[in-house]
Order: sequence, then structure tokens, then C-alpha cells
Amino acid sequence: MDELMTILKNLRPDVDFKTNERLIDDGILDSLDIVALVSELNDCMDIDISVEHLVPENFNSAKAIMALIQSLQD
Amino acid sequence: MSFISPEFIAFILVCAIVYFCVPKRGRWIVLLVSSYMFYLFSGFIAFFFILFTTVSTFYTGKFLGRANEAYAALPKEELSREEKKKLKSDVQKKKRRILVAALLANFGILAFIKYFDYGMNLIDSLFHTTAGRFDLIMPLGISFYTFQSMGYLIDVYRGKVDPDKNIYKFALFVSFFPQIVQGPISRYDELAHQLYKGHAFDWDRVKNGGLLILWGFFKKMVIADRVAIVVNQVFSNYTEYQGLTIVFSVVMYTLQIYADFSGGMDVARGTAQMFGIGLANNFKRPYFARTVPEFWRRWHITLGTWCRDYIFYPLSLSKAFGRIGKKSRKLFGNYIGKLMPVLMAQMIVFITIGIWHGSSFKYVAFGIYYGILIILGILFEPVFANIIKKFNIKTNNFSWKLFQILRTFSIVCIGRYFSRAATFTTAISMMKASLNDIQPYAFYKHDLFNLGLDTQQFIILAFAVIVLFAISVMQEKGIQVRNSLEKQNIVFRWTVYFALIFGILLLAAPGISSGEFIYEQF
Repeated sequence: MDELMTILKNLRPDVDFKTNERLIDDGILDSLDIVALVSELNDCMDIDISVEHLVPENFNSAKAIMALIQSLQD
Repeated sequence: MSFISPEFIAFILVCAIVYFCVPKRGRWIVLLVSSYMFYLFSGFIAFFFILFTTVSTFYTGKFLGRANEAYAALPKEELSREEKKKLKSDVQKKKRRILVAALLANFGILAFIKYFDYGMNLIDSLFHTTAGRFDLIMPLGISFYTFQSMGYLIDVYRGKVDPDKNIYKFALFVSFFPQIVQGPISRYDELAHQLYKGHAFDWDRVKNGGLLILWGFFKKMVIADRVAIVVNQVFSNYTEYQGLTIVFSVVMYTLQIYADFSGGMDVARGTAQMFGIGLANNFKRPYFARTVPEFWRRWHITLGTWCRDYIFYPLSLSKAFGRIGKKSRKLFGNYIGKLMPVLMAQMIVFITIGIWHGSSFKYVAFGIYYGILIILGILFEPVFANIIKKFNIKTNNFSWKLFQILRTFSIVCIGRYFSRAATFTTAISMMKASLNDIQPYAFYKHDLFNLGLDTQQFIILAFAVIVLFAISVMQEKGIQVRNSLEKQNIVFRWTVYFALIFGILLLAAPGISSGEFIYEQF
């Protein structure tokens, strides 16, 4: 989780990822952020997030992103 | 059958009466029969095109669904991560072949109808030949229902939705009559279940739907059709005008296309709402956007999100674009290299949006124009941030926001030269003429009142635009206008309803409206 939080903070220092649970629904992360985030996660965490996983439920909060990462690491 | 016609109102009424009279489980059949009847009014040949898309998409979806189920049923617990990956990749390859074939067939038909004759014209002008033409008439809504159906297919391929099991119900999803004329481009997981469910009669919902339809008529008949008189006059005789007159007509066209398209959307959404079906919103007050990307998140939203989900994401996250990104890092440094896949995908998206509108080169130019603007915006973002910091510009105030809105509106207006002018060269000529002889006294000399609308007509237009602006400001502030109206006393409420009805009847643009919407031709 710490590594993810660091990546998220580097990506958007202006966003509070600890509490926000509507990152996509409220348009806080846009499509450019998503592409940058996915590329970073794929590189750093040795996972393969593909377009099938790009649904709001997977990116609305740091917790949801972590759950996606864990499901792909299993 | 035009949305702006007594026949359409009668059609909705008959559909609604029959819909609410039959048992709930059969109500979707009423919608299907109505949609096919509506479609048949537009032409018999067009009917075969929509039938082909329906059948080919339905059976491809079924095949993909079976492949998804077969993969899910395979015992994978014993397999290593690598073996799982390989298995998945093999299944994906098989699915992809079928998907690509269906996409090629359907987009191929769309491309053939839209671009074949233009391509032939181009060949003739380049090689001085006289190649054959088909003079094809565009089937109603083909761009909209093709994009919607292919979106469904990709969703099934990705496992986001299960394939539809009933071809007749699926035919309704493809052809639902309020959205067939000019969208919105709906998503299967948002729309299908609403269509298939039998909705109970609800007076408030029917009334609210009716109100939205009236609002759409107001935008189209009072604003768009009135503004069109000025726009058509200048764009059809552009060589006769200079400077401010052309700029004025472009601004008017920017207003016209919004009132026309969003008015049509209101009619579509209002009609669907009467049946208890919520269609996606295609507009979110686009001319209040403060940046170009924000404009595209507010304008023709369903086309934008379609391109984002089915073009932008797959391209920018593809291995090929990833490799280009890595090479670019070596060539241009980390910052540009990292952005390269995104920038390339953005450009492809905007060119696609451009050519989605039509075959002329002016649409390609329209796409490239926005692509370049967005790319420059991304690349120079740190520079702009620096300038703001250096000059200590306060950004959290009304004047800065107004500046941003006006800047974005001006950029959008420039793009409108391409979308409205007959050809690319005409657009360039008109741009030059706009700057050649500004003629700032056009207002003073009343030149602008000689473009088809007299002073009285301009006053009516100004009044209608103020109403539109006031409603838009309220919506922007989060006020749900129809809900707020609902809370008022009966006298006030019905005064507003009748004012809207008589406003439309009395203030509709002079002459008979063609009833055609700009986006019908796309």
C-alpha cells in the first residue's frame, strides 16, 4: 500500500488519496492520469493492468486500486 | 419522420398509449415495433443496414460470450502464473479474430457509405478520371448505432457485459427510436436493462419528459432555426462578406450547433423519459468550459467517452505504443518520452472524431486542430504553470475564470470555421477574410441586421439566448430546474408550462423549419 500511495502522490500531489473514494466518479483523475498510473503500476509492480480493468470501480479509491493490484498478483 | 413535426408528437402519443396499455412483460415489444416503424419511415433500404448490424453483432456477441464462459470454466487452480497467462492469451487471440472480423464488417460498411464517393471524387480530381459513383444515401443514424453496437461487442469481448440472449431485445437496443436520429451513443450496461423492463405509468415522469421535449423544441425552433438564417446567408455567400460580419456568423453558428444538437438531445431524452428510460446526457453546458479538454468532456459526451474507452485507452496502453514511448525517452528525454503514447493516442482520437463527422478533408483538419491544441496544452502545462507563478496571477477568482471561458469559447469558434464551411479551402478563405478587413463599424452601420434577421428578430433571439443562458447558469450551479419547478405552486408551474408552449408557437423562427437537425447528417 505504501508503494502505491507514493506512486499516487507523485502522480497527483494535490489529491488526498487516503480519504477520497470517488476519484473517477467525480472526475478527479482524468484519462491522462489513468494512463500514467496504469503504466507506472505495470512497470513497478510487475502486473498487467489492461483495458478490461479500466472500470471506475477499480480506480475510485486507493483501496480499490490496491485490491485490483492484489487480484492481478495472485 | 422529423422530431420537429406533428407526426412525431402523434407517434409518441400512440406509442405511449399502447406501451402503457399492454402487460408490463410485453412492453419492450411495443418499443421494438415502434422503433422499427420509425426506422422504416426513413427508408426501406436503410432498414437492411441496421438489420445487418443487429444480426452480425448479436451472433458475434454470442460467440464471444461462449468463449468467455469456456475460459471461466477451465480448471486453473493447478496452473502456474505463466501457464495461466498463456492460456488467457490463447483464448484472447481466438476471440480477437472474431471481434476484428465483426468490427471490420460493420465499420467497413460505415466507411464505405460515408467515404466511398468522396474518395472517388478525390481520385477524379487528382488523376482527371471519371470513376464510378454509388450516390449512396446515408441510412438514418448509421454512425450512432454502429458505434453503439460495436461498443457492446467490445464490452462482451472484454467480459464487461454478458452477451444478450434474445435477438429481438437486442434489436431494440440497436434501434431504440428516440436515440436513432442523433444519439446519444448509449452503453449496453446502462441502457439495455431499462429497455427490456416494463415501466409503470408515472404522471410526473411523463410530464417531466414532456417538459424536456418542449425545452428541446425551444432551443431548436426559437434559437437554432433563427440563427441558421444568418449563418446560411454568410456561409453560402462568404465572398461577399469581410471581417466582423464573418466572425459574427461563426459565433452565431457556434450558438446554432449547440442549440440544434443539444435541443435534439433534449427531445430524445424527454421522449425516452416518458417511457421510464433514462438516456445518457450528451451535454454539460460546454461553452462554460475553461479549457479545451474540459470542453470535450462537456460536448458530445457519449462520443468522447466512446473514443476514450475504445480507442484512447487501448492505444495508449498497448505494447506497441509502450515501445514507442521507450524509444522516445531516448530521443526526446524523459518528459516527452513518457507522454508520447498519450499524445499519439490523443491525436488519433481527435482525427477519428473529425472523420466520424464526414468524409471531407475539412473534418480531418477539424480533428487535427483539436489534436494539436490538446497536445500543446499537455506539453506546455508546466510552462503555463510557471508563467502563472512568475506573474503572480490569481487564478481563484471570477475574472480569471471568465478569461478562461472566453479563451476556450474563442478556440471553439475557430474550430467551427472547419465544421461549417463547405470545404477546407473555404474555411481558410473565411478565416483570412475575417482578418483582412475587420470592419468594426458593422454593428454601428447595422450591417448585421441585413443578414436575414431584422431588429425585431434579433430582439427575439437575444431574449431566447438570455433564457437559455439563465437556465444554463442555474444548471451549472447544481440547480435541477425541472425539480425546482415541481416544488412551486400549481399556478406558477402551469404558467411556466404554457409560457414555454406559447413561446415556442409564437417565437419559432420565421418560415417553416425544415425539421432537420445538423447531426442527422452524420
